[in-house]
Amino acid sequence: MTDVLKIRDLNKSFGGIVVANNIDLDLRAGRVLGLIGPNGAGKTSLFNLVTGVVKPDSGSITLNGDAIDALPIYQRARRGLARTWQNLRLFPSLSVLDNVLLGPRDYPGEKLQSLIFDARGVARRQAENTEKAHRVLQRTGLGAVAHSRVQDIPYGQQKLVGVARALMNDARCLLLDEPMAGVEGQAYAAIQRVVRDIAESGVAVCVVEHNVAFVRDLCDEGVFMFAGKVLARGSVTELIADPRLTELYFGT
Amino acid sequence: MLDLAIASQILWTSFSTSSYFVLFALAFALVLKVNKVFNFAQAAIMSVAFYSAYVAVRVLGLNGFAGLMACFAGGVLTAVLIEIFGFAKLRALKATPMFVFIFTIIVSQFVSYVLMLIFGTWPTTIFPTMFWPVSIVGGIAVSAWDIPALSAMFAILIALWCFLRFTRWGQFMIAVSDNPDLAELYGIQKNRVMIVSMAIAGGICAAGMFLYGTRAQVQPSAATELMLFAVAATIIGGIGNLWGAAIAAVVLGLVQNSSILFIPSAWQGFLLYAFLFLAIVLFPRGFHWPERASKLKRKTIDSLPASSEASGG
Amino acid sequence: MDYFLTIIILVSLFIILAASFDLIIGYCGLISIAHPIFYAIGAYTSAMLAKEAGVPVPVAMLIGALAALVSSIVVALPSLRVSGDYLLIASIGFQLGLIELAKHFHEIGGAGGLTNIPPFLIREVGREAYALLVVVVALLTVWFVRWMATGPYGRMMSALRDDELAFSMLGRNAIWVKVSVFAIGSGIAGFAGALYAHYFRFIEPDQFGLLASSAVLTMVVVGGMRTTWGPVLGAIVLQTLPQAITFFGLPPSVLGPLQGIMFTGLVLVFMFLRPQGLIAASDLWRGRQEGARHD
Repeated sequence: MTDVLKIRDLNKSFGGIVVANNIDLDLRAGRVLGLIGPNGAGKTSLFNLVTGVVKPDSGSITLNGDAIDALPIYQRARRGLARTWQNLRLFPSLSVLDNVLLGPRDYPGEKLQSLIFDARGVARRQAENTEKAHRVLQRTGLGAVAHSRVQDIPYGQQKLVGVARALMNDARCLLLDEPMAGVEGQAYAAIQRVVRDIAESGVAVCVVEHNVAFVRDLCDEGVFMFAGKVLARGSVTELIADPRLTELYFGT
Repeated sequence: MLDLAIASQILWTSFSTSSYFVLFALAFALVLKVNKVFNFAQAAIMSVAFYSAYVAVRVLGLNGFAGLMACFAGGVLTAVLIEIFGFAKLRALKATPMFVFIFTIIVSQFVSYVLMLIFGTWPTTIFPTMFWPVSIVGGIAVSAWDIPALSAMFAILIALWCFLRFTRWGQFMIAVSDNPDLAELYGIQKNRVMIVSMAIAGGICAAGMFLYGTRAQVQPSAATELMLFAVAATIIGGIGNLWGAAIAAVVLGLVQNSSILFIPSAWQGFLLYAFLFLAIVLFPRGFHWPERASKLKRKTIDSLPASSEASGG
Repeated sequence: MDYFLTIIILVSLFIILAASFDLIIGYCGLISIAHPIFYAIGAYTSAMLAKEAGVPVPVAMLIGALAALVSSIVVALPSLRVSGDYLLIASIGFQLGLIELAKHFHEIGGAGGLTNIPPFLIREVGREAYALLVVVVALLTVWFVRWMATGPYGRMMSALRDDELAFSMLGRNAIWVKVSVFAIGSGIAGFAGALYAHYFRFIEPDQFGLLASSAVLTMVVVGGMRTTWGPVLGAIVLQTLPQAITFFGLPPSVLGPLQGIMFTGLVLVFMFLRPQGLIAASDLWRGRQEGARHD
């Protein structure tokens, strides 16, 4: 089993508030890791630190053995790091398909010179990407709504658009921020199945989720965070059963 | 090389002329802090204030005090009108910041064209003469304008500080600037607070313009330049930091005035734009003042990680 | 006839300016109103090269466009690295500062303006040829902006406007997209400036100030942002309307402010009553292969 993402001694505080306190964490290929902990434990902050949205005070992050600390967000993504957002952050002025088409690591035509001097190459890769996007949409059960605008489809499907967009990256490491919040029914099952699939294809997945049942069913392992610290790592059932953690979770 | 007497004279003159720069920067920073708008329409407020005083004194022949009152009336009224018929409407329409931004620029241009049409492009002053008697204090020429101007600036600074610190409306303004939605939950009427903040900014602009207009010539397009100075000071002084903006205005005024020793006077006008550009390049998030661990600050920081988590779902 | 040709040329030049400005402010969502300064840089560079260095006019025009493109990168890069909001202030500072500077540079005519700029085509072929050239460039610009906006770049610009952070997280380089669009739009404006200079043969710093900024902005806002024909319509309406005022024979001291009031007043009216402009843009982006994509 290989470590795709390695986090070492990661620290970050805003003023007096510590959101990451000496975090050490590895994400392994083919495994789903659940991050649990109460609100404000630093789970989303950890995603922000890993993806480069927020700069850490100290510590190191490596992806597939390469240090990515100094890289801007988009270059981390191009090295195979993908994420979804708690509040979706879809592009409302684009259709579902066009949202997904922006996801590949190498976007045809992003280089202006290729747009002008290699128009045919761009068109061919664009066609390939469109085909791939349709496959991803099928896989996530969004085939029927490919041409809808994102704000016209149900919330659960919108969450899946976020996942589909991240899938276009062929990521080595996928971070899912509350994929289940507000989702029920068909979309719930679809997300569960898709995440399982992704992991089985060898991707390291990390999920922040409050839905304990979902975490227990899906995750191979769990990590309990509190006040920016990793308090415990183990099977999800064990973590949930630990009375000390439960007390921290629900507060006193 | 550099005469001590000349140096101290320039230092003093810059300091006294910085009085109106400080006021313009203060007004700009206040609106940015409370109303969350880069208010380029401040140029319109400043111009209307000046021409109100001009009309009162030069056209109607009233005395200086009436001119000052007219100046305040013009400034406050324009500011309040912009807030009620502009910003409040745009907030209700959920206009993007870019839209509001453009609105402020267009308003300032619109007003300057209207004033050009009425008053022409010829520079003018509030009083027929700009001559102020000068007395020599310790080798430095101090004009009769300097002391009242500086006193007015300090009085306004102190009054604003006290207002924000000790009055109910001042506290409301701080609350709205920290978190407008939360403030509204506590029953603070956001829209009224923003009108008050614009009115105060309008009053400060008027005071600044009265000082400026009794010392230098003004034309309809002059306010834009004066305002850009305030923008540069606000950016350097730290966005959201009123007193930082005021200090930055003094420093910028000093640099611009003393530049006469080093570069030809024709280039002085260019210096302002160089400041503005450098301010953005060098101090993109404002100059970092040493942090103080005040109670208020802690509170806002506390809500940071929590609100970023909560903003999701 | 000459008057008529001059109007055609002016309208076409403003179509070029408005369409390229729409690419920047409409499609890419970059807030800047300093478009006329790049027009000025193109005009001055081309005029000076042709007048003082004897560079053939077409070459000088291209270098003028290039100068505008390069200087736009100098303005945009530092400010866009921080935040989009700063571009507006940085570019206004650049615009007004450069105008102030030009007024004190006697080598380029100072405040009085640069005269005797070498003409192009007019003597050899005639004014009609020049008008044709400008009209063709205008049509090419409109076509180019449409091509950019409906292609892969259009999709990126839409997403970037919606959510820059999510856009970056997909591996897209937001700063590159913004700077390149800003540079292309400004380069086109520079070329338009060169076209202006070699026809009218006189340029002065003040004609590239905030009045010109509000004029171009008005054309885009009134015509309709993010549409192919909005800026064209805006340029035609707003360039011919002020011409109509000139027939009243008003003195310049009244005419100038009156035009300014008209431009800015129209923007204000449209901002509140019809923010989408005369031609409304669709709020859903459509690529040009849309027809082929149905399955």
